[in-house]
Amino acid sequence: MLTERKLSKRLYNQLLFTGPTLLAFTCVILVPFVYGIYMTFFKWDGISSSMPFIGLDNYQAVLQDKKFWASVWLTIKYVAASVLIINVLGFALAYLVTSGIRGQNFFRASFFSPNLIGGLVLGFIWQFIFHIFLPSVGESTGWSIFEKTWLGDETKAFWALVIVTVWQYAGYMMVIFIAGLMSVPKDVLEAARIDGASGFRQIRHMILPLMVPSFIVTVFLSLQRSFMVYDVNYALTGGGPFGSTVMASMHVYDKAFQRFDYGVGQAEAFVLFFIVATITITQVYMTKKLEVEA
Amino acid sequence: MKKLSWLTLVLVFMLVLSACGGNSSKNNEGNANSGASSSGSQNSQSKGGGSEKVKITILNSKAEIHNQMTEAAQLFMSANPDIEVEVISTTQDQSPVERASALYASGTPATLTMLDTGDIEKFADKALDLSNEKWVADLAQPFLVDGKTISFPFAVEGYGLIYNKEVLDKVSGGSFDPASINTTAKLEALFQKIEQAGIVPLYIGSMDWSLGNHFLAIAYATQPDTDVKGFIEVLKQGKADLVNNPSFNGLLDTFDVMKRYNGGKDDPMAVNYEQSTAMVAKGEAAMTFNGNWLITELLKSNPEGEYGFVPVPISNNEGDHANSSVAVDATKQFFLDAEKSTPAQQEAAKKFLNWLVYEAEGQDFQVNKANVIPAFKNINLELNNSLAIAINQYNLSGKSIEFAGNFVPGDHWKVLGASMQKYLADKADRATLAAEIEDYWKSMQ
Repeated sequence: MLTERKLSKRLYNQLLFTGPTLLAFTCVILVPFVYGIYMTFFKWDGISSSMPFIGLDNYQAVLQDKKFWASVWLTIKYVAASVLIINVLGFALAYLVTSGIRGQNFFRASFFSPNLIGGLVLGFIWQFIFHIFLPSVGESTGWSIFEKTWLGDETKAFWALVIVTVWQYAGYMMVIFIAGLMSVPKDVLEAARIDGASGFRQIRHMILPLMVPSFIVTVFLSLQRSFMVYDVNYALTGGGPFGSTVMASMHVYDKAFQRFDYGVGQAEAFVLFFIVATITITQVYMTKKLEVEA
Repeated sequence: MKKLSWLTLVLVFMLVLSACGGNSSKNNEGNANSGASSSGSQNSQSKGGGSEKVKITILNSKAEIHNQMTEAAQLFMSANPDIEVEVISTTQDQSPVERASALYASGTPATLTMLDTGDIEKFADKALDLSNEKWVADLAQPFLVDGKTISFPFAVEGYGLIYNKEVLDKVSGGSFDPASINTTAKLEALFQKIEQAGIVPLYIGSMDWSLGNHFLAIAYATQPDTDVKGFIEVLKQGKADLVNNPSFNGLLDTFDVMKRYNGGKDDPMAVNYEQSTAMVAKGEAAMTFNGNWLITELLKSNPEGEYGFVPVPISNNEGDHANSSVAVDATKQFFLDAEKSTPAQQEAAKKFLNWLVYEAEGQDFQVNKANVIPAFKNINLELNNSLAIAINQYNLSGKSIEFAGNFVPGDHWKVLGASMQKYLADKADRATLAAEIEDYWKSMQ
């Protein structure tokens, strides 16, 4: 660096390495993002050649769109439930498959495999399970909980979504947790064991604090993915029954591409982006503070 | 070394830039192509010494008939050697409007564009007036935008209560006549009779698109004093007063009857497309509410079955036109581009449309190759399945109401389909349903 005193040379060197990425980033992220915001100030149906400027009317419409806020609230409930269960279950699975039980590699692979199936396929598979398989189980066993299809009831359809999401991501988070568990120093744990700390105390006071970096990643990933969920929502419930499981992304998509109201759809997408960005940044900032050194 | 890295940098930038500017390079390609084809046509001219070839393009949005459409174009070309037809098709899940507007945006629209009927109006300012064409007089149902015919209807479809002929013949002890069911009370009597025979009267498929855009839309199409577009305006202005609207109430009275005899009434939301179809095909249920496209699914379960349509009655008045009519309309329409195409191209495209209606080969393509129900009275070819024959009869005899789902906004099926599902599952009463419908339309302004 010391040898590169000339500004032009320094700039050239920086551009050589970051330029291509920067350009790609500008083309596929920045420009569409800015253009998207620009579009929120216009009324456009996606076809018409006229695109009148209407100022902040679209944002006004977003504030008044009760269905949008209902879908955001539903999404928040869904995110809370899925993030909690995904992380608890992911950690439990990781602890289980690193504790030295027999065939743990097989379990690792099989817990991870749901994540390799795309959300759409997953949705259709589980739709079959909830729609056909479980009711027939209910019929033969008489368990009233499975008597009717879960996808025909608002609350159960919501939990069906959570279950499928957890099933999809718990294995993925497990892999991250396994890496975290491996990096917990053995000497600390050994010292704790010699001091007579029980298994639970070890987890609570040694392992969990040392695994905060893993939790930052897993909570961030599960937060962001469940906030933006569309594929599972689309394939499993399609927003039904009675439009009760329309998540925010689906509402935005429908607004823009079913109703051909691009302006309002874009404005809602931007509001959603703002909410998600705020929540995830706060989460990363807050959990960073919990990090400790061994 | 230094030079080399500069070169790499420049190369990388060029690569990225060209990736970003994909459109412009594509346009160049298009120009090159059109240059090539024009030089090609010059060649043929010098060879044949005849008149110059006119080239037209057809944008087909029924992806499943792309091959048949290309074959038809070949036949048309051999009958008209001076015209060259190119067929392009949208993919199965691409919206035709999206493709058409992309073609317009790049300045290369197709000469003939096939769109869903409800989308034709959006392109009205780009379409040629076809009111003076010969085939307009042979249309079974006129389709007008601002009083003009600007599109050529293709693929008629219709819906109503589909019945299994064998089952109803057995129940009624003879040949069942669908025209005998022309009031809600008679429909209920028929359901009772079927139930007494130990057969499930009907299954109501809980699909939102079916309930919202097909069933509910019957209420828009059966207003005594206005057509669908007129009634939608009334709805948008919030003046519809659905709770006191006779057609709406009559339709829902029928729906209540259907709900009572629904084979899936214990868990109505579990009845899906496949199940309702299979039940009717196997004869375990007598009827279901759906359209003539169901025939492929029906024939899967029972290749021998014969089916027909009973209209959905909206009153107990036998004379009501709607009580003896099913909803029928062309679901696809061609419009002829007036913006970019030359008069010669327009003439060629008109010729193609006439060929479809009046030439044996064109008729054969519509009915036997593409398996669509033609929209024209002069085509007498035997259709190849019972539901198509039934729809065609309703259409030709004028016993039809508008296919109102063609004129509603794109999210209607989902939003109001959900409201109808609530009503189906007894989670909402009629007043709630009416209020939700009115709210939806008021938000449309």
